[in-house]
Amino acid sequence: MKDSLKEFVDTNRQAFDHLEPSNSVWNKIERNVPGKSMSLWNNVMIWRVAAMLFLGLSVYLFTANSLSNKPSRETAKLQGEFSDLESFYSEQIAQKVELIHTIQSFNDEEAFAQDLEKLEAMYFVLREQMKINPTEKVKDALILNLLVRMDLLNQQIKSLEDSKKEKSQRESAASV
Amino acid sequence: MYNVGYRIVNDAEEAEDVLQDAFISAFNNLERYRGDSTFGAWLKRIVINKAINSVNRRKPERMPEDDRWDVKEEEAVDILEGFPFTVAKVRAAIQGLPDGYRSVLSLYLLEGYDHGEIAEILSITESTSKSQFNRAKKKLKELLEGGIL
Repeated sequence: MKDSLKEFVDTNRQAFDHLEPSNSVWNKIERNVPGKSMSLWNNVMIWRVAAMLFLGLSVYLFTANSLSNKPSRETAKLQGEFSDLESFYSEQIAQKVELIHTIQSFNDEEAFAQDLEKLEAMYFVLREQMKINPTEKVKDALILNLLVRMDLLNQQIKSLEDSKKEKSQRESAASV
Repeated sequence: MYNVGYRIVNDAEEAEDVLQDAFISAFNNLERYRGDSTFGAWLKRIVINKAINSVNRRKPERMPEDDRWDVKEEEAVDILEGFPFTVAKVRAAIQGLPDGYRSVLSLYLLEGYDHGEIAEILSITESTSKSQFNRAKKKLKELLEGGIL
């Protein structure tokens, strides 16, 4: 059924929303929502706390990391122990190498020389590691490297001495 | 939203209080907005509820109550055929209606709710809403034609 009033209102709908509230309403609304703005502030606080925690964690990790790079008492002790051992074994190795050279003609035993060089190259890599990140494991590996080289040299000296003895025995037997 | 509240409470200052109340309430209950209606529709319902509460507080029982207002559905008639009135006059006539009539008429004609929804909003029956609307229109006609505006 036709409704002239409804039609009239629908046609002029916007004209019925002609009133505007005073500005004081918005001010009052703003003033009266502190409860929510408080919790918004709390939300900001949560983020601030989270940011602080993150910053704190970052600082901790950074200092912990740089501490591990810095020679602390522990690592200084480790490096001190190692440098004592290193100078002792290095001297021993140098003496043995020299001894071998005096006994042996240089072109002899190529394989032996190569082994020794490989071990020495590995030794320098480990020494770099010892400088950057000195740990008990690196120290042990370095000392083991020195000991293996000592052992190799000892064997070589022994075999050279044996062959020398054999040679002189053969010579004396031939002269007899 | 101010106009929605104003049409129910029919008083500028009261309408401002209603608007303020509604906005603060909506702000504090944002988590209750479920998105099953538009945000505007949700906010409008809050404004309407606040306005109705305000009217009820001011003058108890001005809103139609079923025991008093529930009447047989009347036949709808186009009582204002031709409609030779201006918007300003109609607005003034609506303002001249009693609270109950004005609320139902505004909710139906201007806010676009059907009688089922109005029944829910005002806690009345759907037939009460319809009869209230028809009575409101009759009263509006009287006001418009009475020349008192």
